[in-house]
Amino acid sequence: MSQEQIDQLITKDYAAGFVTDIESETLAPGLDEDVIRFISGKKNEPEWMLEWRLKAYRAWREMVEPEWAHVNYPKIDFDALSYYSAPKSMEDKPKSLDEVDPELLETYKKLGIPLHEQEMLAGVAVDAVFDSVSVATTFRGKLKDAGVIFCSISEAVHDYPELIKKYLGSVVPQKDNFYAALNSAVFSDGSFVYIPKGVRCPMELSTYFRINEQNTGQFERTLIIADEGSHVSYLEGCTAPMRDENQLHAAVVELVALDDANIKYSTVQNWYPGNAEGHGGIYNFVTKRGIAHTNARISWTQVETGSAITWKYPSCVLKGDNSVGEFYSVALTNNYQQADTGTKMIHLGKNTRSTIISKGISAGKSSNAYRGLVRMNPAAEGARNYTQCDSLLIGDKCAAHTFPYIESKNPSAVIEHEATTSKVSDDQLYLCLQRGIDTEKAVSMIVNGFCKEVFKELPMEFAVEAGKLLEVSLEGSVG
Amino acid sequence: MSEVLKQLYSDKYRGPAWLEAFNQQARSQCSELVLPGRKTENWKYTSLRALEMEQYQPLAEKPALVDHDLAHLSIPQLDSIDLVFINGYFEAALSSDLSMLPQGVEICLFSEASTTQQTIILQKLGGAIEQNKHLFACLNSAQLSDGLFVNIGKNCVLPKPLQIVHINTGIDQAYAVNQRLLLVAEQNSEATVVERFLTDDDGPAVFTNGVSEFYVEADARLSHYRLNMEQEEALHIGNISALMQRNAQLNSFSLGLGGKLKRLDLTVEYRGEGAEAKLNGVYLTQNQQHIDYHTCIEHAVAHCTTSEVFRGIVADSSKAVFNGRIHIHRDAQKTLAQLSNKNLLTSNKAEVDTKPELEIYADDVQCAHGATVAQLDDNSMHYLRTRGVSEAEARVMLSFAFINELINDIKLSAIADYLRPELVNMFSTDDGLKRHLL
Amino acid sequence: MLSINNLHAKIDDKLILKELNLQVNAGEVHAIMGPNGSGKSTTGHVLSGRDGYEVVEGSVSFLGKNLLEMDTEERAREGLFLAFQYPVEIPGVSNMEFMKAAVDAVREHRGQEAIDAVSFLKKTREFCKAVNLDQNFLKRGVNEGFSGGEKKRNEILQMMLLEPKLCILDETDSGLDIDALQVVAEGVNSLRSPERSFLIVTHYQRLLDYIEPDFVHVLAGGKIVKSGDKSLALELEEKGYGWIEASLSGAA
Repeated sequence: MSQEQIDQLITKDYAAGFVTDIESETLAPGLDEDVIRFISGKKNEPEWMLEWRLKAYRAWREMVEPEWAHVNYPKIDFDALSYYSAPKSMEDKPKSLDEVDPELLETYKKLGIPLHEQEMLAGVAVDAVFDSVSVATTFRGKLKDAGVIFCSISEAVHDYPELIKKYLGSVVPQKDNFYAALNSAVFSDGSFVYIPKGVRCPMELSTYFRINEQNTGQFERTLIIADEGSHVSYLEGCTAPMRDENQLHAAVVELVALDDANIKYSTVQNWYPGNAEGHGGIYNFVTKRGIAHTNARISWTQVETGSAITWKYPSCVLKGDNSVGEFYSVALTNNYQQADTGTKMIHLGKNTRSTIISKGISAGKSSNAYRGLVRMNPAAEGARNYTQCDSLLIGDKCAAHTFPYIESKNPSAVIEHEATTSKVSDDQLYLCLQRGIDTEKAVSMIVNGFCKEVFKELPMEFAVEAGKLLEVSLEGSVG
Repeated sequence: MSEVLKQLYSDKYRGPAWLEAFNQQARSQCSELVLPGRKTENWKYTSLRALEMEQYQPLAEKPALVDHDLAHLSIPQLDSIDLVFINGYFEAALSSDLSMLPQGVEICLFSEASTTQQTIILQKLGGAIEQNKHLFACLNSAQLSDGLFVNIGKNCVLPKPLQIVHINTGIDQAYAVNQRLLLVAEQNSEATVVERFLTDDDGPAVFTNGVSEFYVEADARLSHYRLNMEQEEALHIGNISALMQRNAQLNSFSLGLGGKLKRLDLTVEYRGEGAEAKLNGVYLTQNQQHIDYHTCIEHAVAHCTTSEVFRGIVADSSKAVFNGRIHIHRDAQKTLAQLSNKNLLTSNKAEVDTKPELEIYADDVQCAHGATVAQLDDNSMHYLRTRGVSEAEARVMLSFAFINELINDIKLSAIADYLRPELVNMFSTDDGLKRHLL
Repeated sequence: MLSINNLHAKIDDKLILKELNLQVNAGEVHAIMGPNGSGKSTTGHVLSGRDGYEVVEGSVSFLGKNLLEMDTEERAREGLFLAFQYPVEIPGVSNMEFMKAAVDAVREHRGQEAIDAVSFLKKTREFCKAVNLDQNFLKRGVNEGFSGGEKKRNEILQMMLLEPKLCILDETDSGLDIDALQVVAEGVNSLRSPERSFLIVTHYQRLLDYIEPDFVHVLAGGKIVKSGDKSLALELEEKGYGWIEASLSGAA
């Protein structure tokens, strides 16, 4: 592949990069206890919630930023960020979609996420989060009939305090890591899901995160509880405008799969990756973790194409006997993007099983690292793990790394890890060209083939979107 | 310097004056380094606590020759040039006569080096190892008083394997051994070097801090055996590194039995295209033992080939650590690199921590690694049993088979023949179960 | 020799053998045929005592003893030999070591003197020739890198060395070309004697052209649904298994 071909990589536009012109109330930059009181006050939170936040904040102040990830970026000035921003029109808490600012609805429509139920994909309920607040949650009525709770986490604090008190921080404790502690202190909104015993959620649930305002951090918090024997499939999408400055996104997602429950969590992450010179883009520092109880299954599927920096390890704690954890990931980096992503599978229970399929694609001058941990604890009798990490390099200026940590303390557990590296070979390209397929299409076909094992895990609508996204993200990476 | 480091550091015994500047430089580097702890990535799974348990200081003077019969420590059938060090000191009486070496082959102690040799030593010493990364190598340099220098001249072939035996004996105090080897295999030369580390039966409280540096020049061929077979009381931290020039070849085999603290760092750096290295290794740990192999392959140039296979059997309450890093630099196109690490965990108190790492900055390369932790294969067990072999015997046969594939791959058959019974004995004390293996 | 009565066996909670009955007398050759998934291979594994195969009902007696109470290796030492459909590769254990360990174990059990290394080697080489396997295969790891045909011939070699009383051949013909098939058949035929019995599990009739069976059974749905002489095999070859299944469902 020639240098010229590689250079063409930079020509592609980021389709979701527009800015919504809307009047927002944005807190002045800086973080102290007053800011936390302000956020809590804005949401009219009960005292216990404020205390919970303050506890996290105090812990955070004692913590240092992790430096072990294979990423490089200038030190973040946490006092230069604003920790709360909301469209003014959301001040009065619109009761229905008709009351929501049309400008906001238009934004989501442009992103391909219409919030009017009649226009939506029939099988998907959406919670739309704009900067720090949830704008709307669709299909509530239909879900309520099934007993499913799907609302913003701010509402859940008021309406379901017992569930929040019991489960918030139960999977990712406040002090878990630097960014989780920060999130626990300042999280603004996010989604809450509860699926009652034995219920199979009648539709896909989905949250769409949008950062709009400048110099704001987004700190959403998602909590999904699948009670015994229930099933839920949840989708997450994200975009942000093109801006020259880097913006911080530090989310926490907690999943609780009680006995025999099944949670499928899919993400298509398309935060603004920065421009071709590496300016701007989102710093995506996310903590995602689930606990699987007896016979439960948690499946993470992610397609990561955005963000300037990705630091993210969706993990499973396989606590109950026979529980199953899965991680299917496609991470694509281009230009100056850096990703350090992977998973942790902590096997505690007997006959627990985990599968990790990770596909990393590096192009441009980017760096893409898989980092994973598989741990078999002494009680993980008969546990199994299979890991396959493949890297595909496009061009000779990028980097691909694999850092798997494998720890076993049980002689009956079996762990298998394999990793390979390949490139889009000249022979493959030649064959395609000779058959009349242009280079760009050929690369896209090869990359899609490379990712097939992961795409088949995605819900249908997302799989199509993910394939297109890869094509767009790669556009120009070859001539 | 932390307290532990100060304790390990001694300048009371000085080397020759010409080494002083070298010592001094390392000493200043040392003072900036800190003792690694759990948070240090390279020492995440290996604790240095054992170093704090005793006062490990180099012996101030050469010990009297022990009256032990050391004959049983020799490798039968191995026709070699022998150099024996006891408790860190060269023992000429037990070593081969070096006056008979062929032309072009030089072997000497640093303390006896000619001025020409001194010049080469100073030029090369410490050059194959990144002292600012390896604290213990730095410590070794800082208090280096003597070492072994081997130079194989251009186009020369070392007629017999060179066997360097380090025997540490139990004496009435704890002590440290600062082992150092510098070997230069000049252009198109060929050599086989066996480094063996042994202890006598008295279970000495010894800490060996070893550094072996190999310069494998263009077209040179080096076979290296590193056999760490000390008893478990002995502590060993060893740094072995090879610099490979154009078309150089390295064939390396490591064997490690566990101990209270054992850590071996093997580094191979390619400086010339077309070079090849094969690194095989076997580790076996029992009781409360520990072993840690860190290998690092630096593919700095194009067209080099690495094949690496390490296997371990981890029993009782022991712990084995393996970290296999392959680093493909920007210019290292057309690299071929394969790494495999397989472990058998045979007890529910044992632990294996393995981390095969790939760091790749070039696209036209073929790299792969694999790691497994498992128990004996059910199908193989079943197959043996359907042929009438008892479960106990099948277990011994299959455990041995797991490492025997690498023993069979050893080029020097005398070493393979010597190791087989030694290793089989680790799987069972019942001769009946071993009878078909030897 | 072998008496299987009302045998029910399952794997992973799935019942595979249902009410299997079979009598094999000394010196007889029985062929078990049947469509895929009928339980043919399971029969061999249950008889040889493979882990994971659970007998839930019924009994098997072998030479007057309760076979199901014995460990896998005990069954082998008593004279039951299973030639695997997929012989296992064991790198690091040489074929020679492996076979010597097996022969020693079996002889010891029978109260025979241990065979000395020289006689053993001589005998092994002789059998190697008989199954047309190069002697180099003795030094290599068990089945390691062997072709499909070489693995099957290695199985027959072991069978000859161990002198079993009952030989079970699990689809030994699968994946063999006509020459290898003949070699295998000759090996088997050379072992035929009034004291030794064979159970030949196969999907196709062609092996039976070379090893003539006394009885042919059709296994379907985990039990024997039809028995006859060797003409039954020819009939199956001609009409396929659909015919059996159709006639069964017709009867039901």
